[in-house]
Amino acid sequence: MTEQTPHTANDAVSSAAPRPLVVAVAGNPNVGKSTLINAIAGTRLQVGNWPGVTVEKKEALFEHNGRKIRLVDLPGTYSLSPYTQEEIIARDYLVKLRPDLIVNVVDATNLERNLYLTVQLMELGIPVVMALNIYDEAEAKGYRFNLHGIETMLGVGVVPTSATRRSGLTELLDKVLETAAQPADHAPRILNYGDDVETAVALLGDTLRREHPALFALYPERWLLLRLMEGDERLRQEINLAQDALPEEIFHHLRRGHGEDLEALMADARYSQAAGLAREVLFKKEERRVEMTERIDRVVLNRFLGIPIFLAAMWLVFKLTFDLSKPFGDWINDMAGGPFKHWTTVLLGLVGAPDWTVSLATEGVISGVGFVLVFVPVIFMMMFFITFLEGSGYMARAAFVMDRAMHAMGLHGKSFIPLLLGFGCNVPGIYATRTLENPRDKVLTALLIPLMSCGARLPVYVLFVGAFFPNNPGTVIWSLYVLGIALAIVMGVFFKRTLFRGEAPMFIMELPPYRMPSFTSLCLHTWEKGKHFLIKAGTYILAVSIFVWFLLNLPWGVEHKKDSYLGQAGQVMAPVLSPLGFGTWQAASSLITGVIAKEIVVGTMGEIYAPKKGEQKKPEASFGEDLQEIAVSFGKAVKESASNVVSTFGVSSLAADEKEDRGPLKATIQQTFTPLSAYAFMVFVLLYMPCVVVAIAMRQEFGSWKWFGVAFAYQSALAWGMAMIVYQGGQLLGWGV
Amino acid sequence: MQMMPLGLMGPGERGEIVEVGQGTPECGGCRCKEERKPGDVRVEDMGLRVGKQVEMLNNSSNLVLLKVDESRIAIDRGVAMKIKIRR
Ligand SMILES: Nc1nc2c(ncn2[C@@H]2O[C@H](COP(=O)(O)OP(=O)(O)OP(=O)(O)O)[C@@H](O)[C@H]2O)c(=O)[nH]1
Ligand SMILES: [Mg+2]
Repeated sequence: MTEQTPHTANDAVSSAAPRPLVVAVAGNPNVGKSTLINAIAGTRLQVGNWPGVTVEKKEALFEHNGRKIRLVDLPGTYSLSPYTQEEIIARDYLVKLRPDLIVNVVDATNLERNLYLTVQLMELGIPVVMALNIYDEAEAKGYRFNLHGIETMLGVGVVPTSATRRSGLTELLDKVLETAAQPADHAPRILNYGDDVETAVALLGDTLRREHPALFALYPERWLLLRLMEGDERLRQEINLAQDALPEEIFHHLRRGHGEDLEALMADARYSQAAGLAREVLFKKEERRVEMTERIDRVVLNRFLGIPIFLAAMWLVFKLTFDLSKPFGDWINDMAGGPFKHWTTVLLGLVGAPDWTVSLATEGVISGVGFVLVFVPVIFMMMFFITFLEGSGYMARAAFVMDRAMHAMGLHGKSFIPLLLGFGCNVPGIYATRTLENPRDKVLTALLIPLMSCGARLPVYVLFVGAFFPNNPGTVIWSLYVLGIALAIVMGVFFKRTLFRGEAPMFIMELPPYRMPSFTSLCLHTWEKGKHFLIKAGTYILAVSIFVWFLLNLPWGVEHKKDSYLGQAGQVMAPVLSPLGFGTWQAASSLITGVIAKEIVVGTMGEIYAPKKGEQKKPEASFGEDLQEIAVSFGKAVKESASNVVSTFGVSSLAADEKEDRGPLKATIQQTFTPLSAYAFMVFVLLYMPCVVVAIAMRQEFGSWKWFGVAFAYQSALAWGMAMIVYQGGQLLGWGV
Repeated sequence: MQMMPLGLMGPGERGEIVEVGQGTPECGGCRCKEERKPGDVRVEDMGLRVGKQVEMLNNSSNLVLLKVDESRIAIDRGVAMKIKIRR
C-alpha cells in the first residue's frame, strides 16, 4: 500500500500534468462501497454481506473521460469519532491526507442513519458527492426520494446508484468530475448547531487563531473546532494542546445550559439534522409488512433451532463440497499419474536427459505438485460455499447464534466471524480480527483461529477419507471441522481462566438483510480466494517439492528413501508419534515438511510413496489417444459430479459404487494406516502448529513473535494429546482394527 | 405512561426510546465522559436514540435483536437494560 503525500484540494485543477484525482469512498458499513469500486474500476476488492468486510484502506486506479481517478476504499464507519480502529483509519485518511473529493456511499433503504455520517463528512471542507446506493432495493420497497431536495439542502451532488446492477455508475463519475472541476462551487452547506454551540465555536475559533494559528493549515477549520468542542481527546493530544489551553468559559456556559456531556449534545444536534433531512426528502408508505429477512430470522435465530441449523448448514456445505469436487480431483489425479507422467518421461528421454532428472521431474515435481493440484477442485468448491455464506448475510447470524458459546470463552459473537473466515484460509481470519474493538479480544481470537480447519488441510483429509471412509466422506470431514470448533471453545475457556482474565466488552452489531449473491460475483470472489492456493502450488510448493526430492535422494545414491536425509529425520521423529498410531518415518517426514504449508503433507507422501520408475508400466498409448482419453474422462467427471448432487439429497444413489483404486498412494496408505490411526493422523494435521504464513500474519498484527509462540506451544501439545486420546481411546473401545 | 428497560420487551413489542444510558452500573447508568474508552461503540451512532421507535425482534438469548428504522441491531442484554422505553 502506498501512502500519498498530503496535498490540498486546489492544486488538483491548477497543475499542468494532472495527477490522478484522489477520491475517497466513505460510508456506513455494508452499504456497498467495495462493490461500487469493483463495478467502476474492475477491481476485485473483497465484498460480503456483513458489516466490517473492508478493514484496511484499499485503492483502485482507473480513467473516466480521460481523467485519471484514484478511488480509495475506506472501512465502513457509523461516525467519525475516534473510538474504533476502522473509524481511526477512515478519519486519519480524510483529515490528514485530504482527498480531492469524497464519494459518500449511502444505503438508500436506511437514509436517516446514513445521513448522520454524511453530516460529519460535510464538515471536513472537502467536496462531497453522494451515491444513493442500493437504490434498487429502496425502489422495490416503494421509497421515493426528492433528489433535488437533498442536493439543495446539503449542497452535495446526489446520484442514485445500484452497484450490483452497475446502474448509475457513469452518472456518478460525471458528477464527480463536474464537482472536482469547480470545487469552490460545490462546497457542502454548513449546518447550524444552534446559537449556543455556534457562539462557542466562534469564540473558540478566535482563541485558536490568536494562539495556535498554525493549526488551521493542518486541519479543516470547522472540523477542528467542532471536534475540540466535543472534547476529542485523541485530536487534542495529536495537536499537543494542553487540557487547559482552551478557555474554560466557552464550555462553562454551554455546560450550564446543556449538561456535562458536550459530545452527546453535538451528536444529538447532528442527528436531528439528519432526521429532519430524511423526513423532508424521503417518502415511504406507512405500511409495515413482515419482510422476508425477518421471517427467515425467526427460524434461524430461534433459541432452540439456531445452533442445530448452523451445524446442519455447515454439514451440507461439506457434503456438497466433497461430492461435487471428488470426480474432478480424481480426474486430475489420473491425468497427472498417467499421460502427464508418461509424456514427461518420454520427452526427457528424447532429449537424452540423465535418469535422475527424469526421477526429479516425475517423482519430485509431478508427484509433489500433482498431488496438491488434485485438491484444487475441493478447495475451490469449499471457497465457493464460504463465499455464498458471506454474500447471503448468514455470516452475521452465525455470530449472533454463537454468542452464548463465545461468552463461555470470554469473547462475544463478533469474534466468531474471523473464526469462520479462518475456514477458507487462516490468514484473512487473522486480519479480520481488526474489526474487534478490544485488543484482548483480538489476540484471543487470533490464537484460536488456527484451530479452524483451513482449505490447505482439506487435501490431507480428502486423501485419507478417500482411502478409509469412502462411504461417508462428507460426514467424517465435517466431524474434523466440528472438532476444531469444539476445541476452540475449550481452549478459549482455558485462556480466559489463565492468560486473559476479564469480561467480554459489550456487543453491538448490525445484522444485514439477506441477499442472494449473484452467480458472477460468487465466481469472482471464489476465484479471488482460491487462486492463491493455485499460485502457491505453482511457486512455493513446486520449490518445496524439488527440495523434498533432494532430501529424499541425498546422500547421493541412497538405496532406500528411508536412509535419505528426510527419512532419517522422520525416523528420529517417529517414536514420538507412535503412541498416536502413526509412528512411521513416512508419516513423520510428511508432517515435518507440512509445517511450511499443510498441503505439503500430501505432496511429500506422494513423493515418498511414488513407485520407482518402471514399476508402473502402462501399455504405450499414442499422444492422440491420450488426449482423447483426457477429454472423455473429463466428461465423465462432470456427469458424475452432477449425479452426486442428486444423491446428496437422497433422491438416488447413482454414484454409489466405488471404482477400483488406481492411485498407488491410496493403496500404500491403506497398508500403513488403519481407519483409526488415519483418523488420529487427520486430527493431528488439523491441530499441529500453524503454517509459516499464519506465523507471519500474527507477527504483523501483534508486532512480536510472542503470540505466535503461544499458539505454537499450545497447539503442539493439543495435537499430540488429542491424537493420542483418539488412537488409544479407540483401541480401548476395540476400534483399532 | 409506562417506562421500562428495553431488555424486558417481548418479541413483537414496540416502544419509543426515552433514555439511553451507556455508563457502567457504578456510575448509575449515566453517560460518564471518563468511562468512554477506545473501543466503545456508541449505540446512538447506530441509530438507537431518544425518540426512536424500536421493535423487539428476538429476545430469547443473551443478545436481543431490535429493529430501528430499517436496521436490525443486536446488542447484549446488559446494554439493553440501560435503554429505557415508553410503550
Ligand atoms: N441490492 C443491492 N445490493 C448491493 C448493492 N451494492 C452492494 N450490495 C450488497 O451489499 C453488500 C455489502 O457490499 P460491500 O461492497 O461489501 O459493502 P462495503 O460498504 O464495502 O462494506 P464494509 O467493507 O463492511 O464497510 C453485498 O452483499 C453487496 O452484494 C446495490 O446497489 N444493490
Ligand atoms: Mg468494503
